[in-house]
Amino acid sequence: MKTIIFAAALTLTTSALLAHSNSNETTPQEGAIVETVEVIELRFDMPMRITVITLTGPEGEVELTRETGLEPVPEFRALLPEEVVVGGYKVDWRGLSEDGHPMQGTFAFTVGD
Amino acid sequence: MEGLSPVDGWAVFAISAKAAGYAAALVAMGGPLFIATFREAPEEVLRLARRAAALAALLGLVVLALRLGIRSARISGIGLAGATDPMMLGLVWDSPLGTAALWRGAGEVLILGLVFRSTLTLAGGVLGALLVAWSYTQVGHSLGEPRWLLASLLGLHLLAAAFWVGALAPLHRAAGRVEGVDLLHRFGIIAGGTVAALVLLGLTFAWLTIGSLGGLFGTAYGWMLIVKLTAVTGLLGLAARNKLRLVPALAAQTPSAPSRLRRAIRLESVVVVLILMATAALTTITTPPANL
Repeated sequence: MKTIIFAAALTLTTSALLAHSNSNETTPQEGAIVETVEVIELRFDMPMRITVITLTGPEGEVELTRETGLEPVPEFRALLPEEVVVGGYKVDWRGLSEDGHPMQGTFAFTVGD
Repeated sequence: MEGLSPVDGWAVFAISAKAAGYAAALVAMGGPLFIATFREAPEEVLRLARRAAALAALLGLVVLALRLGIRSARISGIGLAGATDPMMLGLVWDSPLGTAALWRGAGEVLILGLVFRSTLTLAGGVLGALLVAWSYTQVGHSLGEPRWLLASLLGLHLLAAAFWVGALAPLHRAAGRVEGVDLLHRFGIIAGGTVAALVLLGLTFAWLTIGSLGGLFGTAYGWMLIVKLTAVTGLLGLAARNKLRLVPALAAQTPSAPSRLRRAIRLESVVVVLILMATAALTTITTPPANL
């Protein structure tokens, strides 16, 4: 049964969905092409405690400076270094929603002309 | 599919641990409910009910600790090391799972007392069963609105489920004994009411969190619920066959009846495990349409 559920779940998964405190509002938006980026923002309908956020770019992991701490927030912000190179970026985050569910999500954007 | 969270190895581990926690909680809660309801049952059957409940309570406590670690690992993003990370564990403890763990832990400790046979430990066990049911209303999807209605539906649904699941092992024992017929017959009469309540309470909860046919057929939550309900239907069929055919056959002293009834009760247990796995998946990786 476990295998069946697992297989079914994998088949059904289309993309990382932000369940429970649902919202797909991010800055930059998923799939966006931007000239430059200074801040990563995640917005939720319900407060979310972001436990981990990583940004991976063409040259590997980019260090983020969290503006938001570990408290539950409807809007999370983290700043990028001043210089960002051109290329594709991916944000991965994990957190804990208000009802206690572990949450995770991912989105990608491109820095370029 | 809408409303399905990413499924990784940790999510599968979390689902398995949660299902084990459900099984332990239901058997632990069901023991004192069984003993309080059927005090005139053969002593051998009551002893088994006490021991099974206490063992399940112990297992429940172990699973509870394990689940705090699994959740901590899941939110840490660093795998196994995150399971013992004090900061991540602290965040999990501060979340509704921590609150639920306190109530559930207290309830399961009270149920452990059933290893000693006395009216006092039985009263403690019944209180423990209520605390465990209460603990599940403090976390997860029942925290949605309308809060108190959802919590009441879930708490009563769990008590009704526990009355059934906790009775399986004692009834299995009773099915092998001539003097067990009365007990099986009485259980069948009472279960007619509690099982109907179990299903109605569950369906009402599901209706409140799904709300439309689109929500049922258009979301991962809806489909996982359909999987659960399919297994539940099978379980109801088995239970009806036991009540209407096998218990009367046992009463009529049909030679093959004890072994057929015992086999049917074992099969019921297997279907219960499938239902608990589906329920754990439902509450771990899918989002109720009402929350989407």
